[in-house]
Amino acid sequence: MNIKKSILLRVRIAFLAICLFACAIVYKVVRIQFMDGAKWKKISKERRIHYQPVFATRGNIYSDNESILATSLPFYRVAFDPTVADAEVFNAGIDSLSLLLSRYYKDRSEDYYRRKIKNARHAGRRYIRLNSHQIDYQAKKTMAKWPIFREGKNRGGVIFEKVEKRFKPFGILADRTIGFINEDKNGAGLEYSFNSDLAGTDGEALFERMAGGNKPIYDGTEVQPQHGYDITTTIDINLQDVAENALYKTLEKTDADHGCVILMEVKTGEIKAIVNLGKTTGGYIEDYNYAVGSQGRTEPGSTFKLASMMAMFEYTNNNLKLTDTVDTGNGVYRIKNTTMSDSKHGGNGKITVQEVFEKSSNIGVAKLMEKTFGNNPQAYVDYLHKFGLDNTLGFQMEGEARPFIKSPSDRTWYGTTLTSMGIGYELKISPLQTLAFYNAVANNGVKVQPIIVKEISKADNVIQAFQTRVLVDKICSDETLKKLKAMMEGVVARGTARNILGTDYKVAGKTGTAKKVKNGHYVRAYSASFAGYFPADNPKYSCIVIIDDPQGVNVYGGDVAAPVFKEVADKAYARDLAMHKPLQERMIPNKESLPDVKAGNFDDLTLICNKIGISNHPQGTDEEWVKVEAAKRSLNFKPNPVLGGQVPDVTGLTLRDALYILGNQHFEVNVEGTGKRVKKQSLEPGAAIDKVKQITIVLS
Amino acid sequence: MLWGIVIIFSLISVAVVYSATGTLAYKKMEGNTEYFLFKHSSLILLGLGCMWAAHKINYRYYSKLSLLALLVSAPLLIVTYFYGSNINEASRWITIPVINQTFQPSDLAKLALISYLASMLSKKQQMLHDIKRTLIPIFGWTVAICALIALTNTSTAVLLFITCLLLMFIGRVPVKYLAAVVVAGGIIGGTALTLGQRLDTAVSRMEDFMDPTKTAFQLEQSYIAIATGGVVGKGPGNSDQRDILPHPYSDFIYAIILEEYGLIGGVVVLFLYLALLYRGLVTVSKSNGAFGGLLSAGVSFSLVMQALINMGVAVGLGPITGLPLPLLSMGGTSLIFTGISLGIILSVSRADTEFTRAATETVPNKIQANKPVNA
Repeated sequence: MNIKKSILLRVRIAFLAICLFACAIVYKVVRIQFMDGAKWKKISKERRIHYQPVFATRGNIYSDNESILATSLPFYRVAFDPTVADAEVFNAGIDSLSLLLSRYYKDRSEDYYRRKIKNARHAGRRYIRLNSHQIDYQAKKTMAKWPIFREGKNRGGVIFEKVEKRFKPFGILADRTIGFINEDKNGAGLEYSFNSDLAGTDGEALFERMAGGNKPIYDGTEVQPQHGYDITTTIDINLQDVAENALYKTLEKTDADHGCVILMEVKTGEIKAIVNLGKTTGGYIEDYNYAVGSQGRTEPGSTFKLASMMAMFEYTNNNLKLTDTVDTGNGVYRIKNTTMSDSKHGGNGKITVQEVFEKSSNIGVAKLMEKTFGNNPQAYVDYLHKFGLDNTLGFQMEGEARPFIKSPSDRTWYGTTLTSMGIGYELKISPLQTLAFYNAVANNGVKVQPIIVKEISKADNVIQAFQTRVLVDKICSDETLKKLKAMMEGVVARGTARNILGTDYKVAGKTGTAKKVKNGHYVRAYSASFAGYFPADNPKYSCIVIIDDPQGVNVYGGDVAAPVFKEVADKAYARDLAMHKPLQERMIPNKESLPDVKAGNFDDLTLICNKIGISNHPQGTDEEWVKVEAAKRSLNFKPNPVLGGQVPDVTGLTLRDALYILGNQHFEVNVEGTGKRVKKQSLEPGAAIDKVKQITIVLS
Repeated sequence: MLWGIVIIFSLISVAVVYSATGTLAYKKMEGNTEYFLFKHSSLILLGLGCMWAAHKINYRYYSKLSLLALLVSAPLLIVTYFYGSNINEASRWITIPVINQTFQPSDLAKLALISYLASMLSKKQQMLHDIKRTLIPIFGWTVAICALIALTNTSTAVLLFITCLLLMFIGRVPVKYLAAVVVAGGIIGGTALTLGQRLDTAVSRMEDFMDPTKTAFQLEQSYIAIATGGVVGKGPGNSDQRDILPHPYSDFIYAIILEEYGLIGGVVVLFLYLALLYRGLVTVSKSNGAFGGLLSAGVSFSLVMQALINMGVAVGLGPITGLPLPLLSMGGTSLIFTGISLGIILSVSRADTEFTRAATETVPNKIQANKPVNA
């Protein structure tokens, strides 16, 4: 047989073998389709495999010193499959279970729960929600011991559905500013405004429906969830607390409708405290962001006189001096067909410009306005534009109110509009916008944008930092500033707010008592306010207080709003003294307050951290064992894989965990020293394992 | 005929891959399903281009190139093991720096080894029993390359080893030596597997396959695809299992073909592979030198055996492997090397046709040329 023939024969044999294998494939396909077909089609119908989202953890909201203002914690919804338990267990436990449920939820009778469960069992319903109230982990643990429930899910029928719930450790504090977001993506405050950063992106993975729930299938197709970013606000929890207390007391005392306080750092525009309280039947709560939103946008009244005075001082060739005099007469002044009055009965007579401001004389301001802008009202409106009062601040929070400022070309511009605007009527502006203007005066004419979020970060990596932004470089001349400052200091020294004159430091500001409009008419209800800054010599903070519709005799800004300002300012000033520590000391991150964890089991650590509310971030792939790194305000878990054939790294672990790992690797372990955690190990981590498996670990 | 088969394969491939990448597109490309369509189509065109280019080269050059390619691919495999990019816990890819395209050195090594064996076997037909000059180099290279591949990719290594044994069998290496090399390969390959990254995977997949009581998740889903496909299938683009089956566009593409085109489509695809093999083997009988025939046979068997093993896995005839279906699966460099392989087959048959034509005019010479072989 020649070579070629031999080769050809061998090729044919091989080809035949391949053809046989091909036949086997066809046979197997036919078998799957026709003999086992029904079985696979049935499995397919049950759709045991399905995609399910893997929810991303929402980021935290922090105060300026890394205290958690809002975080996500696990809560549980209690549902029940009443058909699961057998008759014996069910009948024995139903009475006490109903009683316990009724006692726990305190909303329905024992009888109600018993009827509800029994009816559902009778009707064969496999899922009922016992109560819409969500319980925390502790309560879940307790409930799991109750009759019937203690039989577990498969024999008792209880279903605890985990839901991530937002938790605000400081309760009502800055509640509305921190805000919320509901399932329809509606909301308010920072939670809503920064939702795209906080939310993260949900992942997706295949799950198989099993008797005990859904089991994830890790087949490489899953999409990992991207956890949300954290945001750091400028809020100072202590000042926030002080401001809230002060406002709450006054609102309660005056039985006012609502109120707000904003405290801002002059140089940076950082909002240190922002309180909003509205009256409900159960006391005052943060029900709306009056400081920022459109419901808080009102006619400001006398606090707006600062803008009018600034415009008049600035107006070319006006050359208005503080010592110029105005005759305010007997306190009643007719303009066109309306009357304007001063709050002092009998009037102030002939007073200086400075006194007009300090005593908050409406007539004085109106007369000055007529004299200055009577022939050219557009010039006044142009100044308001220059001061940035006719536009929003571009605040970081959604829903900032848009100021309403008339223009002489408007159809609603009446003969009296100019003088009305001069004293803060016929225009609308929000407290935050008023404050930003006052802040500009305190900041030597530089108008900065108020900011409430400093940083968006992931673990310790800053994703985006927000810097102070200048809105208007120089709002007015230095000469004007000097006059305005003198007048504002005079308001506290001798004017409408002399009741808050203190000795430690000077306050500068302006009171306001605006009449409120109801159904289109001015009524005998007021919005009392005080806006200003302190210490007047070297301004550090600016602040505005609004008390809306206070009841009783004293309803003036100086009487109700200024004392709140004073209380906040006193605390802030006192705290500031303490704050003048060397910079170095303040910079040290808050590591000591984190628990001393070096390493451990990933699931355990995650559970513990979530339970006690410590932010934690897994890094890298899921490993059973992790190393822990304390970051500024969170714990980072780094994988610490235990590989076969290599010496594991047990440093940082508790003795129990270390023994578990080493024992699994068949090590003979000598323990030296005492203490909580392993400090040293005799074999280098990652080294190949010897035949003699002996290791010494040192505790400390 | 070969061009026709390849073009039919390409059309099927584009249709099935487009359907099967739907889920992937939603996950990775924000629903831009055309992304994978265009990427895959252009790679197929590139593969066809390589095929055309390879068939223009006289196959005799491949004999000279083969040793060089082997010498290059051995260090490449080692580099890949240590520095390759890690996909699915195995570093099988290295990235070519400038064009930023991942490249699987085992593809190159496979082609190089087959060409080398064909070349050696054809040259040494007269001294097949010479252990030192024939068997040591042949066996040495085979075992070495397979062991290096086994570090990162068990199934490719095993498949290549079997292909090489088959090629040696066809090249008339005595069976007793083949038995020896099987033992040697088993020991060295096993060692490489232990040292490498894939031992656990290989063991668990073997266990899954051997355990008659349970079916692996992928396989179960594959069976569902096959069973619900029926005789005529659900129609192009109507697969349900593509959302659930892992890698429906590569490892389990045959299950998707059976689901969408049914038993009929599956048999047609199987038949096309057999036709391709037949076409590759016809060259053997026509070829004049042993090298051309052996090269063509080796390349054809390598392609078709991989195809059949992939299909065998999808229907549950073998343990789960990560082998793509040549000519049909989505893939980067593997499509290019498949193109080159097909080009080589064409090159052999073209050159031999020309040679035969030339030879008919000089018949005496041809007989002369063959004489020593027959002796």
